[in-house]
Amino acid sequence: MIVADQLNKHFKIYETKRGFVGSMTSLFSTKHHLVKAVNDISFEVKEGEFVGYIGPNGAGKSTTIKMLSGILHPTSGKIEVSGLSPQKRRKEVAKKIGIVFGQRTQLWWDLPLRDSFDILKEMYKVPDAKYNQFLKLYDDMLQIGKFMNTPVRKLSLGQRMRGDLAAAMIHDPDVLFLDEPTIGLDVNAKTSIRAFLKELNSNEKKTILLTTHDMDDIEQLCSRVIVINHGQLVLDGTLDDLKQTIGLPSVMEVQYRSKPENIEPLHGIEKMSWENGKLILLYDRTILSSPALLQSVTKWGEPIDIQMKEPEIEEVIRKIY
Amino acid sequence: MNLFIKLVSGSIRSQMQYKINFLVSSLSYALIMAVDFILLAAILHRFDNVKGWNLYEVGLLYGISSVAITLYRVFGVEIHNFEKYMIEGEFDSLLIRPVSPLSLLLTKNLDLSRIGGTVQGVLILAISIIGLSLKDFDMFLLLVYLPISIFSGLIICFSLGLLTATIAFWTQRIKDFQVFTLYAPFNAANYPMNIYPGWLKLIFFTVIPVGFMNYTPILFLLNKGGTVWNLALPPAVALVFLFLTLRFWQFGIRHYHSTGS
Repeated sequence: MIVADQLNKHFKIYETKRGFVGSMTSLFSTKHHLVKAVNDISFEVKEGEFVGYIGPNGAGKSTTIKMLSGILHPTSGKIEVSGLSPQKRRKEVAKKIGIVFGQRTQLWWDLPLRDSFDILKEMYKVPDAKYNQFLKLYDDMLQIGKFMNTPVRKLSLGQRMRGDLAAAMIHDPDVLFLDEPTIGLDVNAKTSIRAFLKELNSNEKKTILLTTHDMDDIEQLCSRVIVINHGQLVLDGTLDDLKQTIGLPSVMEVQYRSKPENIEPLHGIEKMSWENGKLILLYDRTILSSPALLQSVTKWGEPIDIQMKEPEIEEVIRKIY
Repeated sequence: MNLFIKLVSGSIRSQMQYKINFLVSSLSYALIMAVDFILLAAILHRFDNVKGWNLYEVGLLYGISSVAITLYRVFGVEIHNFEKYMIEGEFDSLLIRPVSPLSLLLTKNLDLSRIGGTVQGVLILAISIIGLSLKDFDMFLLLVYLPISIFSGLIICFSLGLLTATIAFWTQRIKDFQVFTLYAPFNAANYPMNIYPGWLKLIFFTVIPVGFMNYTPILFLLNKGGTVWNLALPPAVALVFLFLTLRFWQFGIRHYHSTGS
């Protein structure tokens, strides 16, 4: 469904100065440095797969998605989406894919949600019958009916994201590119969007490529994970592969009434540090269980607050090295 | 066509959400245009004529040039403000649609507040034609040719706008360029080309071909020189220029860098 073959995207970063003279000189200047945003990445996504495409900020995730969707032209390499090159046949590919950018809405800001849908319906030449079917189905799945007549700028972030997701599905695309669709959402909104995506993948057999910073998104949705860093592919496998490679450390933060004198190192604790008067423990749950660690923690001193955290993606990526 | 209507009506309804802003900008723009012409009239009144062109004759040039550029400002507002698509990376949203980005830009927004300028240009044209008191035949030819001249002017202006917008694919910012590629040439085209030194004339008949829009045809229509070719050339030049600009635009899109998110 999606093929990326030895994909490269290099940016020449010119120094841009302000003002007319500045723009003029930067137009003709050859001073630049080369940034390899995407560096020789190859992968293939089969029909019906749900792939998590993860990496820290600036790793090249968005650049990849922009190349896959035809927005950017790769420096070298081959791309196929639904058997077509998004660069050579952008308009045809556009009809087969749906895109959601979590950071930027594709809806008409000042118009009611319904108007955006109407415009998109014309743009993608969706027949009336199919369009009505779409409205009904997506109202069931995303409950967008309630705010269909509200201008987009007045929607909450969660509502807007649901609107954006529905808008990306209006022409019933086979492939979905989702660039951080859960960013900034509260737990409830995240849950409902995850449920929707899951349904889309399992019932409608849509192929989905998702970038995210939320490990829960990955754990609950993705059957396969592709990890990139500095533009290079570092891991391509199942979630279990990822966990085995890096042993996903769990985090425990403990605040003590007074700083304990002797802390005995335990087998399974990978890292121990003090931050803002809190003891931060990174540990491997497969070796050291949380209750066992908790016991030791209370032995060391008198804790006044204990917090458990799941690791952030940045932490996960750092672990790979 | 259906899509076009939907997009344009959407744009108008969006603007109507900010009524006061719309009224103030219409009013201020009309005021600037009016002051601009009063200044020109004052100068001409003082000197009687510019290199053999009287007030009404210059009025024709001025009218064509200002109708052309204001129509461009109405329909090409998103081209004119293309900078923001580069700086905010909004161009992405256009490239994910199964429609050409240029048609999306043209239908995304209309700047209705600029229509005042167009109306004013048409008024100046009307006053000038009445003031000229031409022979019947010349008058007829002029009236028939005026829309063609305005059309050529609009195409040339649009092409210059698009050309400048395309530069943004490399420089991101274009506001400074617009002074040189749009504002200054169109201001210059308000006056007869023969007042300019040779090198400037060369520019206005080649890379920034604003001279063809009004000076070339009006020269012939007012029996100041030239041949029938003066009438055929402007639309031809405009279309060739448009073609070249569109090619450059396509080339620019391939170099679009997008922004990080």
